[in-house]
Amino acid sequence: MSAHTHVEGQLPHEPEKATLEGRNKILGFWLFLGGETVLFGTLFSVYLALRGQVLDGPTPNELFSLPLTALATLILLTSSLTSVFAIHAMHKLDNKALIKWLIITVVLGIAFLVLEIYEFSHYLHLGHGFTTSAFSSAFYTLVGFHGAHVALGIVWISLIIRQLMKQGLNTVNAPKVYVAGMYWHFIDVVWVFIFTVVYLMGKVV
Amino acid sequence: MSNNHTTTEENKRPHRIEGPKKHVIAFVFSLVLTMIAFAAVMGGEINKDFIYIILIGTAILQVFVQMAFWMHMKDRGHQYAIIGILAGVVVAFTCVIMAQYWVWW
Amino acid sequence: MSHVHTVKRHTGLMDWLTTVDHKKIGILYLIAGGFFFLVGGLEALLIRVQLWKPLNDFIDAGTFNELITMHGTTMIFLAAMPMLFALMNAVIPLQIGARDVAFPFLNALGFWTFLFGGVLLNVSWFTGGAPDAGWTSYVPLAGTTYSADRGVDYYVMGLQIAGIGTLIGGINFLATIINMRAPGMTFMRMPMFTWAAFITSALILFAFPALTVGLVALMFDRIFSANFFNPAAGGNMVLWEHIFWIFGHPEVYILIMPAFGIISEVVSTFSRKRLFGYSSMVFATMLIGFLGFMVWAHHMFTTGLGPIANSLFSIATMLIAIPTGIKIFNWVFTMWGGSIRFTTANLFAIGFIPTFVMGGVTGVMLAAAPADFQYHDTYFVVAHFHYVIVGGLILGIFAGLHYWWPKMFGRMLNEKIGIWTFWTFIIGFHLTFFVQHFLGLIGMQRRVFTYLDGVGFNEMNLISTIGAFLMGVGTILFLINTIGSLFRPMDAKDDPWEDGRTLEWTIPSPPPEYNFKQTPLVRGYDALWKEKMDGHKGMTPAEPIGPIHMPSPSLLPFLMSLGLFIGGFGFMYAGEWGKIGALNTGYTIGALGVIMTLGCMVARSVKDDPGFHIEEHELDDKGGKA
Repeated sequence: MSAHTHVEGQLPHEPEKATLEGRNKILGFWLFLGGETVLFGTLFSVYLALRGQVLDGPTPNELFSLPLTALATLILLTSSLTSVFAIHAMHKLDNKALIKWLIITVVLGIAFLVLEIYEFSHYLHLGHGFTTSAFSSAFYTLVGFHGAHVALGIVWISLIIRQLMKQGLNTVNAPKVYVAGMYWHFIDVVWVFIFTVVYLMGKVV
Repeated sequence: MSNNHTTTEENKRPHRIEGPKKHVIAFVFSLVLTMIAFAAVMGGEINKDFIYIILIGTAILQVFVQMAFWMHMKDRGHQYAIIGILAGVVVAFTCVIMAQYWVWW
Repeated sequence: MSHVHTVKRHTGLMDWLTTVDHKKIGILYLIAGGFFFLVGGLEALLIRVQLWKPLNDFIDAGTFNELITMHGTTMIFLAAMPMLFALMNAVIPLQIGARDVAFPFLNALGFWTFLFGGVLLNVSWFTGGAPDAGWTSYVPLAGTTYSADRGVDYYVMGLQIAGIGTLIGGINFLATIINMRAPGMTFMRMPMFTWAAFITSALILFAFPALTVGLVALMFDRIFSANFFNPAAGGNMVLWEHIFWIFGHPEVYILIMPAFGIISEVVSTFSRKRLFGYSSMVFATMLIGFLGFMVWAHHMFTTGLGPIANSLFSIATMLIAIPTGIKIFNWVFTMWGGSIRFTTANLFAIGFIPTFVMGGVTGVMLAAAPADFQYHDTYFVVAHFHYVIVGGLILGIFAGLHYWWPKMFGRMLNEKIGIWTFWTFIIGFHLTFFVQHFLGLIGMQRRVFTYLDGVGFNEMNLISTIGAFLMGVGTILFLINTIGSLFRPMDAKDDPWEDGRTLEWTIPSPPPEYNFKQTPLVRGYDALWKEKMDGHKGMTPAEPIGPIHMPSPSLLPFLMSLGLFIGGFGFMYAGEWGKIGALNTGYTIGALGVIMTLGCMVARSVKDDPGFHIEEHELDDKGGKA
């Protein structure tokens, strides 16, 4: 096992890849994302199979509001961009900028979640609950799983922000930042498919 | 956005855009693709099949843009990442085919 | 610049509860997997006792359904896979010249989640009913209408928790093999067992998430009244079968691929000959892995998918026979012209080859969709899969255990007992399952708790039961051999078979905590054999001697798994445990369990583990404690 690179002075240019542990974490996380692709793929296929079965409940066309979806998409997409800026700051070894961009990412993520919670409570009023029909179960499971992933990401990045504030940037927490950034991009990629398959296709009559 | 960079081997490739500029371009691309998708649905009189093609097409394109630029998949050293995600996509795609064609009413 | 960290070392029970060492984790997997193998074997014997004569009343129908469900689930998820993980953990890092796996902490977590998931599943025997909808848990039988008791809930919860462990293990081995090979070990110089573990881990990574979705959907249907599989609310029952088998078919390849790897190692070593056709073996393994995802509906030929779908899946299934056949021929050609030693390990490997082929050819018979309409749900299918799983996988595990036992435990197993183990087990096996082909062909259905007199089933069922007991005898002999060996002194050599070809035979038996004092330099395939043939005594080191960095032990994996275990119970019994004040008891306990797990995750994130160093003067060549 290689030793940690605790170098006095300048950190290496890509601090997340400077140690074997860091490279292992990044590789391991890519592999995990491959598995998550299958997980969401299966959830999508369940949704696709069941989306026509609305029973007495409201149909997708009646439920979904495109302006709301567009706003949520814009928020999440921007948060993905800010996470890119964060990594860029990390590569320039600028801890303050890194923390700043991560905070903005988290705030946008929270905004997305608030919007989604509002959306779900609105649907409940319209008679679209988890147990209403096969379509509703599939909808809430798919979109809910994504939302849970966003929530987990928010908590995770917040913890990392706290650690960066206390310890500064080093070769131990750099891989964590990088991996969290990968995770955040991934849930944005999943959202692209959600708004396409669930919301947009739901509005095509 | 800054335009200074520590001296590394990257300087050997002069045509690469430095800094987060290409990431911002990717962002704009994603936004445009999203808007196209939304416009196709809200636009009204387009044929249904055509809309589906636009939606799936823009989604795939956007995912490609995001993964290539924001997740560095077009950069060196990402073979396993590409293999991993590709394999996942193949299996996920199989599930989708299953659901569309072999679950019936 | 090195740091001096206080070395946090535990002894005794705490050592085993907190270990992150792949060698110890391998032993833990072996003990737990071995234990569950005995449980599954007992369930099998009870089934066979019930079936030895017509209209027997030894076990009632309901209990019989629980037995067949638990036998299948336990053997596949709690016995076979963990024992494979035991061998993979014990051997893979050694074979690639690494000091541990990529994620030692996650390795421990994988073990404890598996163990707690398995315990959860088996607690159901004591709480009013084990799951009884088959290991495949088809809906609507597994839904709340027809399985109103908690049995299937245990299945759903237990497997989700155990499944997390398996997935973690898969990612771990993939990253380890990709990133941590010794210098000079290119992919095409890796031993076959490592290749097999690599492809298996990829299958695990892509198959288990599908199972997770299916189990979550079934859990939501049962516990939260969702409608995935409820036709009255628009759900679809065939969807369950699709999701289950998209996981389930790769799963059986996950089971057999490591065994293929073991056979390659054992046959090659005990023929004193290089594996024939290494490149084609690698290619065949990859092809089997890939095709394994394209054939799932051959478990669903009779569900009405239609002739086009059935034909496509038939053809794809038959295609897999080709790369598998390549492997069989390569093993035979390896032995041809070799200097063969019939050690117990090699007996099991040689016994594997014709037995697995028999299972494979009945598989091709089943792959013909029209013929399958006759075979489906008969004992012919039962015979086929036991031939490939027991005759394939279990014989392979026996071979691997006999082969690597000295490396793991520092003692040789007794060859005499080994030979008796082999013959009783393999004769018992063929007695049990060969006749089942014919039982199926004359019409005996599977999953039936009894049968009528006078339809021609009697004699063959009796033979099958006798065979099962003979397998039990073989298992007991194996236990005597293995447990008995632990009372002997640890005197095995680094290379006890004296024909070792791969890196694990270059270090002491059992290896020291850090495996390699110096990472070796690999100059070819069969790295050790190459050095031997060039007249060297051992490997050339690739680095100077220096302090070795080791990961710290931790109790968190145990605690995290315990949290999931507690959470599982809470959610399962939410409907029955009433309320404490305003809160539903079950959900509260469930939430507390999940919070415990999440809390441990936060603790792990927030407090960095710098590990500790083993200094040069502490390095010695004598093996550490097993």
